[in-house]
Order: sequence, then structure tokens, then C-alpha cells
Amino acid sequence: MNGDSSRANLLSAAGRLVDRLEEVAVAVILGLMVTITFVNVVLRYVFNSGLIWGLEVTLVLFAWLVLFGVSHLVKSGSHLGVDVVLTRLEARGRRRVALLAALVCLGYTMLLCKGAWDYWAPFAGLHETTGRWLPTGFNETTRDRAWYETTQIPMLDFLRFLEPVLNEGEEYEKLPRLVPYVILPVGAFLLLLRLLQATWEIARGRSDRLIARQDDADSPELPGTGEG
Amino acid sequence: MEVAVLFAMVVGLLMIGVPIAVSLGFSSMLFLLVLSDTSLASIAQSFYQAMAGHYTLLAIPFFVLASCFMSTGGVAHRIIRFSIAVVGHFPGGLAIAGVFACMMFAALSGSSPATVIAIGSIVIAGMRQAGYTSDFAAGVICNAGTLGILIPPSIVMVVYASATDVSVGRMFLAGVIPGILAGAMLMSAILALSLVRAMPRGQWLGWGEIVQSGTDAIWGLMLIVIILGGIYGGLFTPTEAAAVAAVYAFVIANFVYRDMGPLAAGGGRRASSILARPWTIVTVFLHRDTVATLHEAARLTITLMFIIANALILKHVLTDEQVPQRIAELMLNAGLGPVAFLVIVNLLLLVGGQFMEPSGLIVILAPLVFPIAIDLAIDPIHLGIIMVVNMEIGMITPPVGLNLFATSGVAGMPVLRVMRAALPFLGVMAVFLLIVTYVPWISTFLPNLVFGPELITSSF
Repeated sequence: MNGDSSRANLLSAAGRLVDRLEEVAVAVILGLMVTITFVNVVLRYVFNSGLIWGLEVTLVLFAWLVLFGVSHLVKSGSHLGVDVVLTRLEARGRRRVALLAALVCLGYTMLLCKGAWDYWAPFAGLHETTGRWLPTGFNETTRDRAWYETTQIPMLDFLRFLEPVLNEGEEYEKLPRLVPYVILPVGAFLLLLRLLQATWEIARGRSDRLIARQDDADSPELPGTGEG
Repeated sequence: MEVAVLFAMVVGLLMIGVPIAVSLGFSSMLFLLVLSDTSLASIAQSFYQAMAGHYTLLAIPFFVLASCFMSTGGVAHRIIRFSIAVVGHFPGGLAIAGVFACMMFAALSGSSPATVIAIGSIVIAGMRQAGYTSDFAAGVICNAGTLGILIPPSIVMVVYASATDVSVGRMFLAGVIPGILAGAMLMSAILALSLVRAMPRGQWLGWGEIVQSGTDAIWGLMLIVIILGGIYGGLFTPTEAAAVAAVYAFVIANFVYRDMGPLAAGGGRRASSILARPWTIVTVFLHRDTVATLHEAARLTITLMFIIANALILKHVLTDEQVPQRIAELMLNAGLGPVAFLVIVNLLLLVGGQFMEPSGLIVILAPLVFPIAIDLAIDPIHLGIIMVVNMEIGMITPPVGLNLFATSGVAGMPVLRVMRAALPFLGVMAVFLLIVTYVPWISTFLPNLVFGPELITSSF
């Protein structure tokens, strides 16, 4: 009994830690995007120079921000949707409909996961999956694209270990594309995890929707405050 | 036909509570998998490229961040104080000041709900205390808040510019006169109402108060000068202007207004000067207010971009199916003139705006109507402003009325009641839409004056 509750406490503390880490991560990514862009403006006018990789890195960070953050928003229930129908149903019907919506989201995410893997894998010297809808196996004849590099982003030294593995020992002059693109499978997988978690909460009756609440005037979280 | 099924599916999914982004993305994915030979990998690629391939859209996170620093940094109450000093002594003064404050905040923020929250959370409570009804207060702010996307900077304009390849700078300038006009119309409506029923009026606080509150608010209001000045002066691109605005807002909030950050009052300490505590110039980056504001801006950006990225997949379906060409043919063969076309565009946007979030809708609809507009010799800037004004109206009508939700949050009123409260002023906005639609001059005068007339060199 006691052991159970302390384990539950530990789990929820770990959960909070992960949430906090995610919050800080998205904050840092956005902070970097602004800083790099701003520094480049200053360099241009004050020193008549600039970071040649600045724009490309900022755009990669932009993609990272969104693809990483989408799963984070599932947890905080910030995704926008229409809840006029949901609020008109009684509790049991609402849970069923919400469960259906959650299943649609899971279907979407599974397709996204397959697509993300298939797109990223060749850049990492791995095999894409076969099958149109669901992965049915690996395509052994996938064309290796591990030698594709980004346009301007310099190679990072701590990633040099990739060269013998992926690039036949040849040096990468620029960062290989597998690095920025890795957020696709990672982000899609995290989204799948968070959605499974949210679906479970709905099935257990601890939550009744995936989207931001709009009917409740007292809700502490204001939905959609950044739109339009 | 297939496209009708696609749209029906999107609406159906929306209705059962699937998030907007997933409704768009899932329907489009099914559609592509069944009817075309597009692979899931290329869908994933376009998802990634929605961010990494759109330099213009990069302005969105920066504008959102600037607006977040301005809101938490205490610019809202300074703007409100200035507005009250200027117009508070008219009959219905506080309501008029609320509209005026929304106009000014709109010039710092590219978002309507953000404007409602920043201004509404202070003004609505103040209006109630002064003797206005809750409904009137909520209705005024809910409508005036929509100016957030009409008065530059504007996230919706950035999205329109990105979707149609018109210049962001032109769009921003084009919003200035309509924005002021809409604000003036709302203020006149309040004045007219005050003749019919008695409304509280404030006191004239004198020129001293105007000057004092004005100099206090000027730091915040300089933001719009930096953005517009920077873009038109050719100093930086709109995206860079947004980043500079975000950094400027950060500095003003932390070191000038000091309502947030390491120098803020709190814990028995008064707000201190940077000179007294110079190390804060480093610690500010790690301060919890900074992290919290960055997180909030990131959260809003992610919600918005997730919808836009999925809307781009849907757009991909439509262009694949040659829907824009088919619709254009249909409309042109029907012998539609510019006037009838604009009526149809308005209806389409008004209906679409009920169900969709504005940026997503623009991504989907702009490519459909843009080529026709070019054929009919309608100025793309004018079309853009019409779309923005329609989106404004969409934001104050259910079921997806983002301003309604925001107002309901800050006013503590149910959405349905806010909706009814917003109705009378919705009439004003409808008249405004008609004026903007049929008097192109209002939108095109300023951009043509500054940049010269636009040459249409490309069509889709």
C-alpha cells in the first residue's frame, strides 16, 4: 500500500520533470531563433558581416520547435478544436465521441510516424519501410542518402563518429541532413506517446476531450490566445 | 466531387472534437493515399518544409514573442491609461477608450485574441466598476480586439503574404487606413449609443495627464515605428523586423517598464534600476519570467504552425487535383464580374470562418481565389484586406470564434452570452466589410503611395 503510493509519487514527480524539461526546451529553441536572427541583423549593420549559417539554422530550429512541441501541447490540452457538439452530449456519450476523436488522432499519428521514418531513414543510411499505409517490412534496396549535407551549417566535431559509419570514412564538410531531419521521426514518436497517454486518460474517464476547453468561463487556461 | 467528400470529412472530424490541425491533416492524408501516388514520406517532408521552407512564416513566432513580452511587460495598462486620458471624458468614455486601447495594442501585436486578453482583462473590469453592464463591456472589447489582425503587424497578413507571394510590407501598410476606419466606426457607434441611453463619462484629466501617460506609453508604441520604419526604410526584412521587435519588447519589458524580470518590484523591494543591479543584464536571460514568456510564445506558435502545416497538406491536395483551375474556369465561364466575385469570396470566407482558425483558412482559400482575382484585375492587396476583415468577423462568430473564447475567459462570461453581447457591434463590422470590399482605395492607397503601384508579373 505504502510502497504503491510512493511509487506513484515518484512517477508523477518524474512526469512533472519531463513536462518541465519540455517547457524549457521549447523556450530555449525559440530564444535561440530570435537571438540568431537578431545577431545577424546587428552583424550586418555594425560589423558588415554575418553568420552565413544563421538563416538555415533558424529555419531548422523553427521546424524543431513545432515538431517537438506538438506532443508537448497534447499534454497541456492546448490544441484548438470545435467543442460545440461535445458540450451538448451527456457525460457517457461525450466520452465515447472523445474516444473516437482520439482514435482518429492516433491513426493520423501512425501514418505520420511511418512517413517520418520513411523520409528520414535514407538520410541516416537506414532502410525505409515497404507498404503504402502500414509498414509491412523494410525495403532492402533503399537508396542511401547519408552523404546529403545541409547547405551552410558547419559540421559539428562531436558528430564526427558518424563519418566512418555513414559516409564511408569520408569527412562531412557540412552537417549531414540526417541531423536536422531526425526531429521528424522523434517528434512523430513523441506525439504518438502523448496521444496514447491522452487516450488512456479519456478511456479511464479522467479527461473528456483532446482539445482546449472553450465552454468553461472559469478555465484557467485561455484557449487559442495566439491565433490570427 | 472527391473534393466535396474531403471537405465533408474535415467538417465531420471537427464536429466530433478532433483538433483542427489533425482534421485537416488526416483527411488530406487519406485522400492522397487513396487517390494519388503521393507517399507518406513526401507528406512528412512537406510537413517539415512547412516550417523550414517558409522564410516568411518565420515572422510569426517572433511577432508572437514580441506581443507576449509586451503583454506580460505591462504595456497594456500604460496604453489604457493614455487612452483614458485622451478620450475618457466623452460620454461612454471608458468604452471608447477601450476601443482606442485595442487599436494601439493591435499595433504591437499581430493577434486578435492576444489583444482581447491584454486590453480586456483590465478594461472590462474597469467598465463594470464605472457602471457599464458586463454585456456591453464584453461586446465592445470582443469586437475591438479583432483589430489585432487588421492593424499591422498581423499574423494573418503574414500568412496571406506567404500563401500568395505578395509583399508583407505592402499588406501591413494596407491595413493601416482600414484599421483606423474600423476603430473610428466602432467609437462612433458607441458615441451614437450614448445619445440613446445614458452612459457613464469620465473626467477630463487635463493635458498634463495626456503628456505624462503618453510619454510612459511611448516606449511600447515605438515598437510599431521600428517594425514599419524598418521594413519601409529597407533596413530589414519583415522577418528580421519581427525578431528586432521581439528583442526590443524584451528590453523594454525587463529594463524600462520593469513589470517583469529581475528588476521588477516584489518581495518587499521596489522596482530597481539597471544601474543599481548591473548583473541583471546577464541573469535576465535565466529569469523565470523570461523562460515563462518564451514558453508561452512557443506554445502559441506551435498551435498555430501545426494548423498551418496541416492546412498546407490540404492545399497540396487541392492543387494536385487542379481545383483552383477548375473553380476559376467555372467562375469565369459563368461570366462573373469583379463585384459578384467579391460577394462570393465574402460568403465563402464568412462560412469558412465559422469553422476554421483564420491562418489555416487563408492557407487553404488564398490559392483558390487568388488566380481568379488576378484574372478579374482585382488588386491582390485589396483581396488580402478583404480576407483579413472576413477573418475578423469569423473570430466573433461561433463555433470557432477565437475572440469569443478569449473574451469569455477574461470577462468570466459564458461564450453564448459573449456572442449575444457582441452582436450589435457585429453589425458595425458587417458595414465595414461592405465598405472595404467595394472601396478598394481604402486598402490600396497607402501601399501604392509608398511603394508605387504594384505590377502583377506572375499568376498561379
